[in-house]
Amino acid sequence: MSSLQGYVDRRVLLILQDGRAIVGVMAGFDQKSNVVLSDSKERVYSMEEGVEEIPLGLYLVKGDMIILIGELDETLDQAVDLSSIRAEPLPPIRY
Amino acid sequence: MDVSSTGIQEPFDLIRLSLSERVFVKLRGDREMTGILHAYDGHMNLILSDVEETIMIVSEGEQQATVNVAKRKMDMLFVRGDGVILVSPPSRT
Amino acid sequence: MLIFSVFKTLTDQQVTVELKNDLSITGVLKSVDQFLNIRLDNITVLDETRHPHMMAVKNCFIRGSVVRYVQLPAEHVDTQLLEDATRREAQTQTKR
Repeated sequence: MSSLQGYVDRRVLLILQDGRAIVGVMAGFDQKSNVVLSDSKERVYSMEEGVEEIPLGLYLVKGDMIILIGELDETLDQAVDLSSIRAEPLPPIRY
Repeated sequence: MDVSSTGIQEPFDLIRLSLSERVFVKLRGDREMTGILHAYDGHMNLILSDVEETIMIVSEGEQQATVNVAKRKMDMLFVRGDGVILVSPPSRT
Repeated sequence: MLIFSVFKTLTDQQVTVELKNDLSITGVLKSVDQFLNIRLDNITVLDETRHPHMMAVKNCFIRGSVVRYVQLPAEHVDTQLLEDATRREAQTQTKR
């Protein structure tokens, strides 16, 4: 789990067990891979309208809920026009 | 059957004796596959080669449910043990 | 432990990880730990138009427990070595 160190202070995307996608700056993490994000937002995807960003602020996400942590390329991410993207939300994990 | 002739005393022996043979694997999520078994561990994590996977996709219709089958092939595959329901050795006929 | 070692020998190789939410991610295997958590570099998601969620993601950390399959580069897997190592590990397990 030590490999999360490289993500501290970086803008990251978390994908959760239920399919939710949350972006934010990783402020910290612990051994159970609980993660604290600052300036975080949930990105809600739908086929009807563009991606909606819901501000969440400082957020603690429980490690068990996290299935994927991705480092965002900030220039690439800012270049994306979220309002033009239509996509189904990611499906939840099914064991 | 005589234990000494088969060398099978516990379930994992059956899998061990199937190494380098084609096995049938049934998985969660209406999936099955066959492949040549190269490695396994106590979690039933598997490494298989020359894999053919079959996914059964059940769609509920008005009258009856229809089953569509999707197949795909993969060269070398790690299968996580928590998805494994059964491993069956090759048929010895 | 055996499978962990196999993954370690495959670092810097290209693999495709399929998750239990049907997402498939191809990338260069950078590291793996005892839980089979996986770090991938230079990733692309299969069917990106349907899954644009990770468009701007360059590298990622995947929780081992949500992996369904990992497609491995066959040319970098020594199957004979694997079978021998598996037999050896099976023996130490039963002798306990």
